[in-house]
Amino acid sequence: MKELIEYIALSLVDDATQVQVKQEKIGNKVRLELKVAREDMGRVIGKSGKVATAMRVLLRVAAAREGKQANLEIAEPR
Amino acid sequence: MTEEKSTLEIIAPTVEEAVERGLDQLGLPRDAVDVEILDTGSRGVFGLGGRQARVRLTFGFSKTEAAEMRRDVEEELFATGAPPKTALTLDEEDRSLKLTTMVVRDLLERMKVRAKVSASYLQPADPKEAPTVMVDIQGNDLSILIGRRSETINALQYITNLIVGKELGRWVPVLIDVQGYRTRRERQLRAMAHRLAEQVVQTGRPQVLEPMPANERRTIHLELRDHPLVKTESVGEDPNRKVTILLKK
Repeated sequence: MKELIEYIALSLVDDATQVQVKQEKIGNKVRLELKVAREDMGRVIGKSGKVATAMRVLLRVAAAREGKQANLEIAEPR
Repeated sequence: MTEEKSTLEIIAPTVEEAVERGLDQLGLPRDAVDVEILDTGSRGVFGLGGRQARVRLTFGFSKTEAAEMRRDVEEELFATGAPPKTALTLDEEDRSLKLTTMVVRDLLERMKVRAKVSASYLQPADPKEAPTVMVDIQGNDLSILIGRRSETINALQYITNLIVGKELGRWVPVLIDVQGYRTRRERQLRAMAHRLAEQVVQTGRPQVLEPMPANERRTIHLELRDHPLVKTESVGEDPNRKVTILLKK
């Protein structure tokens, strides 16, 4: 799951060095947090969140394959 | 956020012309915009009393991206004096096919889905349009890749388009199909469109279809565009936007 989000984020951003994905497991729930450079936020969110939504849809499939539920948050860069 | 959703409304004698004019103005390829048919127009009798077609193009790129893309297309057009299709060398075509196949394979691998991926070029009927990369995914039990209301296959296609476009530095439309699903679905939608149109004609009551993604709504609109008695409209907001078939006045 983490690899999927990492792959997509790395492919879409301009600044690959700022891409960070954290994965936290609580039971069968998995929480992913994606951080990218401020200038790249638009690239991983998209118009009206279209990119973020598409990433979540694909993540759901990846999670279902492992019998899990996953949740993706895109965090504001500091 | 620099992202913006912009729209452009165009009026022309036919829907096709309106879409074409709009795309020309924007300098964007067909796949970069959502086309909404506001009025299919009508020819009228002997050229009298006809209405013009009206379409709304929604393009989902930030202004800078749209400007960049327009510049890219213009550069290609003016630098070579030929449409973008012929401006591509065989090597470039080959490279986009390989890249697209690789991106889809990488994504599927990370989604833990085992499948065979192949890609080919689809030359458009209109040489002004860019050739489309058709990706075919084959394997066992791939319904998970289609998803409810084609949600998954559309998400996969969208993300692949973005990655390939970014990697190549220019827009290459990518179409993804799973086990011939899109072709089957399109045939189904066309048949359904005619069946429901028939019901509308017989009962005089409008028919509201189930919510559909934009590409499927488009199939219905196009299929009934030339129907003499009914017209189609899209109502509601995505993902609950529905096509309504109703009698022409």
